[in-house]
Amino acid sequence: MSLSDQHLAFIFPAFASEYTNHPGIKLPGFIDHFHTLISIASPEAETRLADFDFENHNFLEDELYTQFITYIYSCAASVSLRKNGFIPSCSAGYSMGIYAALYDAGVISFTDGLMLIRSAYHAILKLTAGKCYNMGTVIGLDIKDIKRIVSASGATLEITNQNSAYAFVISGENTEVLTALDAAREEGALHVRQLNVNTPYHSVFLQPAAMEFDHAVRSLTFSEPSCPILSLIDGQELTSPESIRNELTNNLFHHLNWFHTLMKLLDNGINTFIECGPSRGLLKNAKFVEGKFKFYALDALPH
Amino acid sequence: MARITENTKNEVREIVYSFFAEECEVDRSQINDNTNIIKDLDGDSLMFLELIEIFKKKYTLDIELKVIGKYAVKNPVATIGELIDMQLLIIEHEKRLLELEK
Repeated sequence: MSLSDQHLAFIFPAFASEYTNHPGIKLPGFIDHFHTLISIASPEAETRLADFDFENHNFLEDELYTQFITYIYSCAASVSLRKNGFIPSCSAGYSMGIYAALYDAGVISFTDGLMLIRSAYHAILKLTAGKCYNMGTVIGLDIKDIKRIVSASGATLEITNQNSAYAFVISGENTEVLTALDAAREEGALHVRQLNVNTPYHSVFLQPAAMEFDHAVRSLTFSEPSCPILSLIDGQELTSPESIRNELTNNLFHHLNWFHTLMKLLDNGINTFIECGPSRGLLKNAKFVEGKFKFYALDALPH
Repeated sequence: MARITENTKNEVREIVYSFFAEECEVDRSQINDNTNIIKDLDGDSLMFLELIEIFKKKYTLDIELKVIGKYAVKNPVATIGELIDMQLLIIEHEKRLLELEK
């Protein structure tokens, strides 16, 4: 494959649930870039970030720190990939992966990305403080079954993402999420799991937080992206600063659809994907999507 | 209902062993029927789902995933050998898999 390929897309994952066996370690230059960005982020974000290490994979219990680490990891991957000659023709950010996608495309600076993550987190925290929310994943049921279970399990529940024809993310109040996961297991789901979060990301509940977050978004200067970024909300290409600002704000409380986004990228002629982050979750999900394409993690890149 | 021959058994075994060796990046010689999929191979549910999809396509199986899910809840598998046995039952009984429970 040509390293600078018109059929190549970078995909930036959401925050990770583990950093063990991190794939970036095999990418030339990654470790140096990661430590450089950590040193920039530490005074900018929180000094504790300097304590992060891959042996203990600390901070997993802290949503904000986990988002910072994943963002830094993804930005280091972006820099390393580009320095190694991988130039994408477009990109997409899964959930909070959008911040790294914006950094990669030159829309925002690294430190502005940190500021946006912190702003979104604190705006959301005001809404969720003292309340108990949750998210969960269900694998093995189709959309019809999931919709029925969600509507029967509680008023706050929403399907907030679809990862494949048989994999979904739900968000809502904790008890309702647990009820739905039990019902899904009863219905024959092959796997159900609570996510390690206290926030119903991408649910309408977060709309008030988006209004506050919008002020932070509009306080920054956004540049034209060096390549189109695909929206996970409607699959459209984001090519202007204004469309990106709107996407960022809407990303907090709109349902996403990763499955449809991936299909759209394939329709657009993309046939090679690189997952630019600490996990292989999107690579695994891509195995359930029909089509002639290759999906790489950072530790198994094409030569 | 499909008839399970020795050839089918060998084919299923070959696919399962090759699949986990590749997915879990372990030498095939390190896998046997007593190998625990999660503890020994660090396998996960997406691998199980992927394997089911492979067999659904290969044998043109008429069965919904949730039927397999319901069966798996009552008959959980932990080892490679148990997984092979379940795949053979799925191929043999397809959408009537749950009738084995009665």
